[in-house]
Amino acid sequence: MADSDCVIVMGSNMAECHPVAFRWPMLAKARGAKIIHVDPRFTRTSAMADIHAPIRAGSDLAFLGGLVNYVMNSPRWSSEPFFKTFVLNYTNAATIVSDEFKDAEDLDGVFSGLKEYTEKIKEWPLNAFLGQYDSKSWQYATAQDAQAGSGWKANTQQSGEQPAGDERSSGQRGAPAQAAPPGPPFEPLVKGLLKPPARRDPTLADPRCVFQIVKRHFARYTPEMVERVTGCPRDTFLKVAETLLASSGADRTTSFAYAVAWTQHTNGPQIIGCAALLQLLLGNVGRPGAGIMALRGHASIQGSTDIPTLYHSIHGYMSHPSALKKHDTLANWLAAETSARGYWANTPKFMISYMKSMYGEAATRDNDFGYEWHPKIIGDHSHLPMFVAMNEGRVKGMLCIGQNPATSINALVERRGLGKLEWLVVKDNWVTETATFWKTAPEVKSGTVKLGDIKTEVFFFPSAQVAEYDGSFTNTQRMLQWHYKAAEPPGDCRSDLWFTHQLAKRLKQMYANSTAPRDAGFKALTWDFDPDPSLPHEPGEVPPTAGDPDGLKILKEINGYYSDEPTKHVASFGDLKDDGSTTCASWIYCGVFPAPGQNRSASRKADPPGTPGAQLGWGYAWPANRRIMYNRASADLNGRPWSERKKWVWWDGEQKKWVGLDVPDFAATKPPTAKANPDAIGLDGLSGTDPFIMKTDGKGWLYVPSGLVDGPLPTHYEPAESPVRNPLYKQQASPVYKYWKREDNALVQPGDSRFPIVITTYRLTEHYLAGAMSRFNPWLTELQPELFIEMSPELAAEKSIANLDWVRVSTPRSSIRAKALVTRRLRPFTIDGRVVHHVGMPWHWGYEGLVTGDVVNELTSLVADPNVSIHEGKAFVCNVEKV
Amino acid sequence: MPEPMGFYTDTTVCIGCKACEVACKEWNQLPATNGGRSKLSGDSYDNTRRLDGIHWRHVKFIEQFDAERRQGRWLMMSDVCKHCVRAGCLEVCPTGAIIRTEFDTVVIQSDVCNGCRDCIGACPFGVIDINPVSGTAQKCTLCYDRMRAGMTPACAQACPTASINFGPIRELKQKAQARVEQLHGRGERGAYLYGADEKMLGGLNSFYLLVDKPEVYGLPPDPKMPTRNLKRGSLWSALGAVVVGVVGLISLRSRRDVNV
Amino acid sequence: MSSTFFTEPPHWRWLIILYFFIGGLAGGCYFLASMIDLVGRPTDRPLARLGYLIAFPAVVVCGILLIADLGRPERFWHMLLQSATWRPMLKTYSPMSFGAWGLLVFSAFAFLSFLGALGEDERRHRFSFLRPPSVIGTIVSALGGLAGFFLASYTGVLLAVTNRPIWSDTTLLGAVFLVSSASTSIALLMLLGSRRVFLVGGLRALARFDTFVLVLELITLVALVVSLGSLARVWLSAWGALLLLGVVGIGIIVPLILEVRAHSPLSASARAAAVLVLVGGFLLRVVIVLSSEAI
Ligand SMILES: Nc1nc2c(c(=O)[nH]1)N[C@H]1C(S)=C(S)[C@@H](COP(=O)(O)OP(=O)(O)OC[C@H]3O[C@@H](n4cnc5c(=O)[nH]c(N)nc54)[C@H](O)[C@@H]3O)O[C@H]1N2
Ligand SMILES: Nc1nc2c(c(=O)[nH]1)N[C@H]1C(S)=C(S)[C@@H](COP(=O)(O)OP(=O)(O)OC[C@H]3O[C@@H](n4cnc5c(=O)[nH]c(N)nc54)[C@H](O)[C@@H]3O)O[C@H]1N2
Ligand code: SF4
Ligand code: SF4
Ligand code: SF4
Ligand code: SF4
Ligand code: SF4
Ligand SMILES: [Mo]
Repeated sequence: MADSDCVIVMGSNMAECHPVAFRWPMLAKARGAKIIHVDPRFTRTSAMADIHAPIRAGSDLAFLGGLVNYVMNSPRWSSEPFFKTFVLNYTNAATIVSDEFKDAEDLDGVFSGLKEYTEKIKEWPLNAFLGQYDSKSWQYATAQDAQAGSGWKANTQQSGEQPAGDERSSGQRGAPAQAAPPGPPFEPLVKGLLKPPARRDPTLADPRCVFQIVKRHFARYTPEMVERVTGCPRDTFLKVAETLLASSGADRTTSFAYAVAWTQHTNGPQIIGCAALLQLLLGNVGRPGAGIMALRGHASIQGSTDIPTLYHSIHGYMSHPSALKKHDTLANWLAAETSARGYWANTPKFMISYMKSMYGEAATRDNDFGYEWHPKIIGDHSHLPMFVAMNEGRVKGMLCIGQNPATSINALVERRGLGKLEWLVVKDNWVTETATFWKTAPEVKSGTVKLGDIKTEVFFFPSAQVAEYDGSFTNTQRMLQWHYKAAEPPGDCRSDLWFTHQLAKRLKQMYANSTAPRDAGFKALTWDFDPDPSLPHEPGEVPPTAGDPDGLKILKEINGYYSDEPTKHVASFGDLKDDGSTTCASWIYCGVFPAPGQNRSASRKADPPGTPGAQLGWGYAWPANRRIMYNRASADLNGRPWSERKKWVWWDGEQKKWVGLDVPDFAATKPPTAKANPDAIGLDGLSGTDPFIMKTDGKGWLYVPSGLVDGPLPTHYEPAESPVRNPLYKQQASPVYKYWKREDNALVQPGDSRFPIVITTYRLTEHYLAGAMSRFNPWLTELQPELFIEMSPELAAEKSIANLDWVRVSTPRSSIRAKALVTRRLRPFTIDGRVVHHVGMPWHWGYEGLVTGDVVNELTSLVADPNVSIHEGKAFVCNVEKV
Repeated sequence: MPEPMGFYTDTTVCIGCKACEVACKEWNQLPATNGGRSKLSGDSYDNTRRLDGIHWRHVKFIEQFDAERRQGRWLMMSDVCKHCVRAGCLEVCPTGAIIRTEFDTVVIQSDVCNGCRDCIGACPFGVIDINPVSGTAQKCTLCYDRMRAGMTPACAQACPTASINFGPIRELKQKAQARVEQLHGRGERGAYLYGADEKMLGGLNSFYLLVDKPEVYGLPPDPKMPTRNLKRGSLWSALGAVVVGVVGLISLRSRRDVNV
Repeated sequence: MSSTFFTEPPHWRWLIILYFFIGGLAGGCYFLASMIDLVGRPTDRPLARLGYLIAFPAVVVCGILLIADLGRPERFWHMLLQSATWRPMLKTYSPMSFGAWGLLVFSAFAFLSFLGALGEDERRHRFSFLRPPSVIGTIVSALGGLAGFFLASYTGVLLAVTNRPIWSDTTLLGAVFLVSSASTSIALLMLLGSRRVFLVGGLRALARFDTFVLVLELITLVALVVSLGSLARVWLSAWGALLLLGVVGIGIIVPLILEVRAHSPLSASARAAAVLVLVGGFLLRVVIVLSSEAI
């Protein structure tokens, strides 16, 4: 970001929530870059910005759509060769979409393929879709459509339940497995998945090409419409648009930064997708100072999606085997999840190496590498449905490790759920609200819930802190950094590593003599992380706590090694094999530990000040220590940098390879002139000018034919709760968002005058999340001691509220108290011609800690985005009254 | 003798994160107001309000918005002892607890101070106050202990945006001057340095880049030495003594005249 | 706006107000006593003795008040000796430092004169050489009287040598405190001497002195307000009302009227006037100290 000419922070309060990362935009600013902040409130980020564009919470897509519209209609964009070349060659703009596809333009807000949700999965009726799309009609028009019967295999499979699809899980539905011989080698299987390449129109004139569809789709997102929907003054919007365009091109780049104010919406991924579309149009992808930065939240939350704690994927972004898809055998899983073209053609290698890591020697070619043993998911097992299930008595116990659900999401429903458990383990550094929900929660204190009625047996395990054991962090930049144990944890505190390791060992012991077939997998599971007692510790090192696993052994398991020669580590994912000869838990981390003694995440070699570079010696960024992904896009069609100022990697004709400041994200010796071989799988199926090598067509996707369950193009929908009717379409909210129908989950209908005020929730620099990590610390509590609600003087005057007055904030779910903080940093919006008030609340308080306060998450509703099941904590409606 | 060291604080890049405030407390093990159970002040995001014996750093928040929100600024500034070259606190301290260090900084020796509080009223910036734990006057030491060990002060080290710059005053002044020029070049005509000039108390070893009047940031436009009043005050007192003495003489004498 | 508005109050409250008041009485009583001893009539010497007898206990109380007010009372001696080297600690330009020494010196004189005044009046005793007309006594009283003037006024200079509003916005506080200490000390001596008929001559002289001093006090107060200029607006408040009614009205105007009306310094109205002067003097310090502390 320090290389950006313009940084647009939107959907995040970067200065307050990512203060250390914010030094990079500040550095860019010092060098002359513009900072833009798009946020309902004027925050500490806005204070640093050149432009603050206020928008109503939940209207980001309209704003971004307006930018797309502005860019596509601007003379400069239409005429400058850079944009033309980039869009035509590096994106799917020229690709023709199937005739069956109907856009939201045609259907007033919905796409073709929408069907009512039918609850056909009985075991787990918690998926909560309002509706579902069949994405068949969204696909590219292939050559096959033109020349039917050419021998290309048809895409026959239908999407079933798609928890968090990516292009593989829903788009590239594989051929029936029996068509391919069961491997390994799996190459024939992958070959069998080849489909004819999509049809393209390089003139971009075809009305069915992506470019034309996109242009039509965003035609209604005019500046006037942006103002109507978002409340952002038109001149401010135009200033943003002009700055963005002026800061993009061959010589200049703009980056976006977002966090959970884009994700916590019923259409969150679509908002992010719209930014991606915009950045692709502007050539701001794969280049220095460009891109879209997802500012991750919790420490190592990136690591926990890579080595996932997510239910729907296994390591390295492969789909979790699911009982709802055609995943019954390894070959079928491979057929469903592998794409023939692009780097994902290597999926069998990654998967088999992963299975070897799970089951070690027990995983053989004859038993499908133990695929049978691998657990399968049966629906949406994400946070919200789990708690709904808990409420229904379908969950018996919970291990709550480093999470505080009693306050952090839909708190009332979640506490009710906790009360229905038989047992609950809380492992935390502090005795959190979750640990004491049964005695100190407001509903227990007030007597609404009787202490005796909660039967949950609660165990509290004191947790060690991060500086008390060796391990790694993976940060927002996908960079792993090793950290060392600096101190012994106090008392009985043990690390999460210790807990998980000891639990696994004890469970394995318990199952050791089981003959039940379902336990075979557990018995076969390899678990060899005990530290080697013979290994000496270096002087100055704090020795590990007794019972801790060896962190380096875990890192080695993740990095990978040769199955028959475990001391030999796999040096790169290019070396992984699909025959079981390599063992690797997570292919993307391959290379972090290329040889014993070479833990590259511990590397701390910074570039000398002033040298242009990517700090390749500092830590290790997956994949392959690459700092900017898809960086082939930083060079033009001939492999030369688009401009001297923005050079990053380029083709060196003499050495006949890609070189540059970063690790090139391309086949190292494939020249820009290389032609795609339509009959070849993997990267050979892509040409020397296809930078997006993870994509089946090597292009950046303006139009997303598969991977998203709520539509191929970003479309503005109102949040589940909104004070206005959608000014853009008849369709009010996303037709497919998730809603859990419960008595305690009533929603406000649009325009309900009892709850006319838009409310959003957010963080303060001074506190951390649910507050356990800050509300027990006097140095932090004195900085922000009490829960407050920020409101404009206009609203305060209307409601006769004075600064510091106590007010009651209510939604149909609950009502809480907070002190008023009246400030002009908040403002009323004029939406569709009428004044809409906007308030905001930080949500860090609870009933434990040095300072306490009401739980803001009692106000929110149980609704979620259909792709990733994230709650809509960022935009709903409420009422406020002086108490 | 090391050269004068200090702070140049560029308020235009302060994001108000208060990391400096907390880092200072952590390093110096200072307690929190009421054990952390303080009250919401209602004054923007400032809940510690001022510098005192347990707040040696304090971040100020100044909201400037017009009613239409056409103009809007949220100024933030991390305040601290100015380590004045001519320091009022140092001058008046009757115990010699306040000293000037080899780095040209001003430090209160906690083991010497007896809590007379003369320095509190003497400081033109309202920096000092009593630390209730020690019973002595306290303020920023410019991390004298860290500096002696060749380390950066805790607050500067923690500052993510380099709003707090630490170093030799000479270098800081150059850096600050360049920044002012850069800002002027970008149309920020209001940017200026506060306290970098020797005219202000001989120069502040902790000086600031501001974009509005000093008063807006709670800084005195024209800080003065307390001892400016010493001579005149003494003279007037002496004159008073003479007058009272003469009047007394007359009263006591004239009576004799009358009565004899 | 004056730069003094950006500073912090030192939390000098009731102990310090009391100190200012009692210190003023100690210094004032002493210099009155020494003036009576040195230039007054021999028949007035009991009044002078009274002054010495008040001064020393008063200054002891002062010391106690000052020490009690310290954040670290056990370190009071750091004002006089450097704690690390045991060398004397004196800064001539710091009123607090100089004042500490002044207080010490004054205490010494007050102690000597106290001893000298211990025995019954006119009767020779062991320490009577410490009182005029003996040579030593004359020297002690003369120097002690000067120290008394110092003690009575330095506290005003101390306040001026800060950066607090009002205090440091004028240089007249020392003079004001000095005059006030004179008026309150005269009042105290008059009050305590008023039962002794044989002192009527001296008391009458004191009453006249008091009248002059009260007028002088009024003048210095007006000068004080004028010297503050626009800053005097701070006193457009309860403090100003207290200054006007309590200090000027009750402490100066009413006593002046009473004194003019009183036919004898032994009369009830003269005594009432004395009490009011004392009250006024106390309120003066209350207003000066607290009106600035409150800002
Ligand atoms: N100090 C601190 N830092 C943190 C955390 C913390 O708790 N405290 N939490 C960490 C975690 S887990 C995360 S996920 C990140 C989150 O980081 P952010 O997403 O940056 O944080 P939030 O404060 O939740 O929301 C950011 C901003 O979104 C605005 N906003 C609300 N609704 C909308 C909307 O619809 N559109 C737009 N454009 N803006 C909207 C809010 O006004 C707020 O200013 O922060 C991480 N960093
Ligand atoms: N309304 C509203 N709700 C939100 C959000 C919002 O913006 N608005 N944001 C959402 C987001 S982005 C997030 S990430 C969630 C966060 O919600 P939670 O994850 O539930 O909240 P935290 O307070 O981060 O809980 C983490 C716990 O881990 C403990 N902990 C810290 N280190 C360790 C460790 O090493 N081991 C163990 N075992 N425990 C440890 C901490 O003490 C703390 O209690 O909240 C979500 N909820
Ligand atoms: S708390 Fe940690 S992760 Fe967050 S900004 Fe500070 S240093 Fe970075
Ligand atoms: S700012 Fe105040 S405390 Fe700091 S050196 Fe100057 S006078 Fe002393
Ligand atoms: S309070 Fe301490 S540091 Fe301040 S003047 Fe008195 S002795 Fe000196
Ligand atoms: S220099 Fe040290 S003592 Fe002074 S404010 Fe910074 S951290 Fe605190
Ligand atoms: S740490 Fe730096 S940016 Fe943060 S409040 Fe302090 S001075 Fe400002
Ligand atoms: Mo998060």
